[in-house]
Amino acid sequence: MAGDVPTYKLEFPYKRSVGPIVGAFLTGLRDRQVLGIRTQAGRVLVPPLEFDPETGEDNVEWTRVGEAGVVRGFSWVEEPLPKHPLDRPFAWALVQLDGADTSLLHALDAGSRGAVEAGMRVRIRWAAETQGHMSDIACFEPEAG
Amino acid sequence: MAGSEPVTSMQQMVSLEYKLRASPVAIDFAHKLVAGTITGHACPECGLVYTPPSGFCSLCVVPTNAREHEVEISDRGTVTAFTVVDPIQYPGQKEHGVYAVASIILDGASGTIGQQRLGDVDTDRVRMGMRVEAVWLPKEERKDSAAVRVGLAGAIRHWRPVDEPDTPLEEFSEHII
Repeated sequence: MAGDVPTYKLEFPYKRSVGPIVGAFLTGLRDRQVLGIRTQAGRVLVPPLEFDPETGEDNVEWTRVGEAGVVRGFSWVEEPLPKHPLDRPFAWALVQLDGADTSLLHALDAGSRGAVEAGMRVRIRWAAETQGHMSDIACFEPEAG
Repeated sequence: MAGSEPVTSMQQMVSLEYKLRASPVAIDFAHKLVAGTITGHACPECGLVYTPPSGFCSLCVVPTNAREHEVEISDRGTVTAFTVVDPIQYPGQKEHGVYAVASIILDGASGTIGQQRLGDVDTDRVRMGMRVEAVWLPKEERKDSAAVRVGLAGAIRHWRPVDEPDTPLEEFSEHII
């Protein structure tokens, strides 16, 4: 009988302060650029951190990295959940962008499990509209050719 | 959105979706409520009348059902306790003016129903013992699912004063919560 198992939604809208480092990174995404931060030892961290995790020294220099990179690891999701960024089977992938020394976790729209492997080249698919949010990167996709 | 100011914050929606599986007794109550009747169950042993019914008497620990134990409850009753709310305007607040909610003991019921919205009355005139009646929602605005979830508020907009003498305190003093 209709109405005996109603569905409810409880929602709390939060506004989170993102700080100067993540804020600059998100500002870059809004402008369709990926910014990394260079440690004093010369490594480029993407996503950026305020300090070098190995030495604790402050990171100060921003540098732009590429929109494409290499898959370093992945986990295949056969049945996406409602909150996942894609509504079809996809991979969570660690992507090391060109020019970066660390990897960024994001969704990879590869079509099928067999199409994903560590070492493959992938590229950012930008959202139709960017707003200064991680979702400005809609997902990654296999690099053409 | 292409902006020029640096990004300093992000919106984050924390959300939870859930399903409420209502009991057959609650569904039956909701159907009858939406049709315009408040019902209760009278315990076959002690005679206490529960509304909304739960399907058992918690004092005698015996089951009750609509076929054998249902009684019709009036949509008039007495305010036994109340709270005046002056809503703080936090983000998402839907209430904008002062209002009162009350516990009401309906005529024919043995216990109060709580959290009932009062209307058509100045909050400084609300008092214990005040007689009230239901202002029903138009039929098209009543929903089974709402009645299952929020009880009487799924079919009743609020309760308004009626022109009757107040109920003496000694008649409801056991129901002041």
